Amino acid sequence: MQQGAFVTGKAMICAIGETPEQIVEAVRHRRIHLAHLSFPLAGLPYTRPYYLIMRNEADRPENRPDGYFTEILFSTAAGAIADAGLSDIELGKTHLFFGSTSMDVPVFEGNHRITSASVSDIFLRASNGYGKIASAVMERLGIGGGSYTFTTACTSSANAFLYAAAMIGQGRLERALVIGYDLFNNLGFYGFEGLKSLATSTYRPFDRQRDGLILGEACGAVVLEGRPRSAGDFRFLGGANLCDTYSVTSHDEEGTAVAETMNRALGQAGIAPGAIRAVKAHATGTENSDRTECAAMRLTFSGRVPPVTCVKPFIGHTVGACGVCELILFTQSLKAGFIPATPGFREKDEGCNLTPLTENEAVGEGIFMLNYFGFGGNCTTLILSNEGGRA
Amino acid sequence: MTGLYIHSVSAFIGEALADTDLLKEELHKYAQENFRRVNRFILLSLIGARECIHGHSIAADTAVYLTTEYGNLGDTVVVLDEIYAAHSLPKPFHFINTMSNTATFYLAQNLGTRGRNLTISSQYLSFERGLDLLMTDLTAGAEQSALIGGVDVASLPGAGGEERDTRGWRMVDGSGWFYVRPEHEGACGAFRENRSFRNEAACLKWIRERGESPVDVVAFGALIGGEEASRWREALRPIADFSYLDQYGYCGSAAACGIGMFVKHFPGKSLLHINRDPRGNYAVLEVEVF
Repeated sequence: MQQGAFVTGKAMICAIGETPEQIVEAVRHRRIHLAHLSFPLAGLPYTRPYYLIMRNEADRPENRPDGYFTEILFSTAAGAIADAGLSDIELGKTHLFFGSTSMDVPVFEGNHRITSASVSDIFLRASNGYGKIASAVMERLGIGGGSYTFTTACTSSANAFLYAAAMIGQGRLERALVIGYDLFNNLGFYGFEGLKSLATSTYRPFDRQRDGLILGEACGAVVLEGRPRSAGDFRFLGGANLCDTYSVTSHDEEGTAVAETMNRALGQAGIAPGAIRAVKAHATGTENSDRTECAAMRLTFSGRVPPVTCVKPFIGHTVGACGVCELILFTQSLKAGFIPATPGFREKDEGCNLTPLTENEAVGEGIFMLNYFGFGGNCTTLILSNEGGRA
Repeated sequence: MTGLYIHSVSAFIGEALADTDLLKEELHKYAQENFRRVNRFILLSLIGARECIHGHSIAADTAVYLTTEYGNLGDTVVVLDEIYAAHSLPKPFHFINTMSNTATFYLAQNLGTRGRNLTISSQYLSFERGLDLLMTDLTAGAEQSALIGGVDVASLPGAGGEERDTRGWRMVDGSGWFYVRPEHEGACGAFRENRSFRNEAACLKWIRERGESPVDVVAFGALIGGEEASRWREALRPIADFSYLDQYGYCGSAAACGIGMFVKHFPGKSLLHINRDPRGNYAVLEVEVF
C-alpha cells in the first residue's frame, strides 16, 4: 500500500546562516555573503568568488581545525533530528541516506596541513570508502538502520532524498535521515577552475551576462517519515531519475532527456504539469546547462512555464549537497509565504528565453517541482506539496 | 522478495595493478568501440557489464546500479597530485573522472540506455543496498529491467601495491554484474531474499524461523570471521561452503563478484550469503540458480 513521505525535521548550515530561520530571512532580504578565494597552490594571479560558511575566523579554510568536517556534519544531523523530535527508540529505527560529491576529501586536504605526507598519500592510506561517513554519523548519533551513500555528482543528495522518500512511501522504511554535505575543498575549487566553469564576480543564472557558476559549501539534513508531525510538513509526491547520455559534462540542448525526467516525475506524482505552482530550477549559470533546462521546462509545460526561481545565487552551487540544501532553502521560504526571487538576474538570454522571478512572490499552499542535474548525465526531479488536502 | 530474476551474469576477476591495455583487450571481447579518457575503474565497469549483457538485447530504459566501496579513486589521486605536487590546475577529464558516476554514464552511453542511473555505496554491504534500491524502483514501476553490479579496483596506485589483504586474501580487481528482470521466463536464477538485520541475534532468529528450508551452499562476507562462520554453519547445516574470498581474492566488491561466480558455476543450487558491516548490521541474500 502506498503511504506518504513527509519532511518532519530539517537543519542546515551554509554561507547565509546556520538555522533555517536565519537562512529564510537572508533569502527574503537578499543578504548574500561572497568570499573571494585565490589559487595559491597553482600560483595564479587572481581570485574567484565562493560562498563560504563564515561564522567566525575559525571558519576560514586555512584555520579549520582537525574535526571541523565532523563538527559541521554531526551538528547539522543532530539539528534535524531535534527539529523532528525523534526519540532514541525512533532513532534506532532510522535509516541514513547520504549524498555528496567531495565526500571526505576535505579531511585529507586538512590533514595535509599538519603532516609532511603528500595529500594523495594521506588519501590512499586513510580512505575507508564512501560509506564510512554515513557510518560515522550513525555511530555518533545512535542511528540504527541501514545506510545508503549516493555519489552521482551534483544530484547525489537529491537522489538520496528520492530513494528515501520512495522507500518510506512503499512502507519499506519507517523513517530516514537524508544528508547533503559538501565542504570547501581544493580538489573541487581547482577542478572547476580547470574546466573554466567558475564565474568571475556575480552569480547570474539564466542571465545573458552570466559567466559561470560559483561554488559554495553547505550541510543540510532532513528527516523523512511516513506521517506528518506538524501542519504544513511538505509531502513527497513523486520523482524521477534518468541518465542523459548526450555527454559526460553537458546535456542535449534540446532538453529532451531533462524534460523526460520532469514528465516521469509528474507521472509518478500523478499530477498534470498545470498543477505545478512554481519550479526551483537547477540553474547552474553555465551556458549549456541553463539553456538545456529552460528548453526542457518549455517542453514539459508546453510553453506555459510556471514561476521559476534559481536559488544558487544565495548559497552557491553546493554540488552534491544541493539536493537537500536547496530543498530546505526553497521549502522553508514557501512556508514563510514567498517564492524567492533570483538575485543577480538582470537581462533575459534569448537562448534561455525564460525570465525567473526577480521579486519575491507571495505564495500559499501548492505543488512544487525541484530540478537537479549533474555530470555523468544525471537528471533528477522531485515533486513536493504542502497542500492541505494532500498533506 | 519476489520477482527479481537473473537473466545473465558476469564476474570478472583481474590481477591487481595489471596493465590497463590488458583490460582494454578484455573489453574488446565484448565491445568493439574504442574508449578514450577512461580509467581503470571505468574499464572494469564496462568489462563486467558488457560481458553480462553479451548476446542479450536490452531495453532502452534499462536502469544501471553500480555499487562500489571505493569508486574512482585512481583519478582522485591524480588530481590531488596535480594540485599539491605539480602546483597546477587539474586536467579537465582527470577532474571529471573523480566523480564515480562517470562509469555508469559511459556504460549507459555505450549500451544506449536512458533509465535510472545510480552509483551507491554502503560499507561492506554496498551490493545488498543497491538491490534494495533496485527493488524500490521495480515496485514503483519505474523500470522493467536493470543491470546491477559491484566494481572495485584491487589496490590504489601508489599505496604500496600490497598483493595481499591483511586477512591473507589476494587483492584483485573485481567487476560482477547481473541483468535482472521481473519475468521468470528465460532466467538463469533469482534473488529470493535480501534481508537486513540490526544484529547477529536478529539474523539468527530469522534463520531459525526459516525452519527446514534447505540451503545447499553458504558463503560469507569479508567481515565474518572463522568462529562466527562456524556458528552460522551449525545453524544452517548446508551441504557445502563457497569460500569465494579464498578462491578468487578480495576487493571492495567481492560479494557481487562471488555471488556472480556462484550463479555461473553452481547450476541447480541455492546460496545463502551472510554479510555484515563494521557496526554489526547484517544482510542476508538468498540466490537460487536454475
